[in-house]
Amino acid sequence: MIYLDSAATSFLKPPAVYGAVGRAMLQASSPGRGGYRSAMKAAEIVYRCREVAAELFHMDDPSRVVFCSNATHALNIAIHSLAAPGRRVLISGFEHNAVTRPLLASGAQIRVAGRKMFDEEDLIKDFRTKIDGAELVVCTHVSNVFGFVLPIREIAALCLERGVPFIIDASQSAGLLDIDMPGLGADFIAMPGHKGLMGPQGTGLLLCARTGTPLIQGGAGLDSASPTMPEDLPEHLEAGTLNVPGIAGLLEGLRYVRQRDPATLLAREETLLGELLRGLRPLSAYKLFENRGGGQCGILSLVSDRMDSETLAMRLDQHHIAARAGLHCAPLAHESAGTKTMGTLRLSLSPFLEEEQIERAIEALRKII
Amino acid sequence: MEKYLIMCRSLTHAQRCQRLLEQSGIISSVIKAPAGLTQKGCGYSLVLRRHIKDALRVLRERNLLTGKVYQWDGTQWREEYDLS
Repeated sequence: MIYLDSAATSFLKPPAVYGAVGRAMLQASSPGRGGYRSAMKAAEIVYRCREVAAELFHMDDPSRVVFCSNATHALNIAIHSLAAPGRRVLISGFEHNAVTRPLLASGAQIRVAGRKMFDEEDLIKDFRTKIDGAELVVCTHVSNVFGFVLPIREIAALCLERGVPFIIDASQSAGLLDIDMPGLGADFIAMPGHKGLMGPQGTGLLLCARTGTPLIQGGAGLDSASPTMPEDLPEHLEAGTLNVPGIAGLLEGLRYVRQRDPATLLAREETLLGELLRGLRPLSAYKLFENRGGGQCGILSLVSDRMDSETLAMRLDQHHIAARAGLHCAPLAHESAGTKTMGTLRLSLSPFLEEEQIERAIEALRKII
Repeated sequence: MEKYLIMCRSLTHAQRCQRLLEQSGIISSVIKAPAGLTQKGCGYSLVLRRHIKDALRVLRERNLLTGKVYQWDGTQWREEYDLS
């Protein structure tokens, strides 16, 4: 199989990830639930993972790294902490349902800024125009449909300047782009563990500049006599038993990313994206959503004038190529791009892919049309 | 041999303190806090056998010393180790 769906889950992982998950299941029990060896072993894995994540995101306090099930869970905590009925929230035109649905459920008033694809200047200008009166900004770092890298630093600067709380969805950027949590001054940054950070499914991180409001309540392994959740991070936001095998795998994924460096991994994906674009540009049956000015992170969406995107993905599967079609849970992004009716076929890359696999994917797409 | 116990706010807090002490060459262990010493039920603490004054200084410098400090008198944890 040629796996081109890493924007959903990085199915290809560093080998150490698989081993760590298995070892944790055999050796590590529940952190914070007992003082015996296997509980303390689990606690050590969990804390080490917080430390490596904190180092990767330039944070000096590992306690501010909260474990979640995925980025959606992390975003729900962040939004639950800062959105409220009637509160004015500004979002980009490229947000995922993981942002829009919890915002709608919160009763907040949502306004959209920046609808032009691959146009950073327009996006900054639109945010600058609309930020007055906003009480919260939520913005994705990279569009999960088009790979469009949004000018997150400029938006963060605007938020700091106006004193508006800021939540970043780093689902597609974590592990590939530099994320400087204190430098950005964001209140929360949410990310999955199972994409660019190379961890297993069922893992996610919420980087917290503030304490936040628990989304769920329950056991945290301490202050058990208290009727409320512990006051300090990370336990404040981590009710229930943590996914220790997942976190053990994520630790190895994070170590790999740190060792290889996100810039190197991104450069590899850029090389592969370049190969993909060079091979597909001559095929006139496809419309490619390409940022010719740069700023496209490991994802290429396309549509065909001969076939709908789901049929195209099914045909690719017959060639043993895994790619996703449809709206990719981001109807707003498709609205911005004018692709909401039919969706797109999304090819998303991994640094573990080989050039030869990209060539085979191009050849399959050529044969299909 | 002397033995000291530093009460921590949480497991993660205890781990953070342990790492910090380790970086200063002070060995300590994270353990569940003895029952009766915590205010709200289950808690975590650090145990160390030497360099208590240095440890307290290091933790204080980083604003991480938030709980009581106890000394083992051979039969029980004696409240409270003289911090002066």
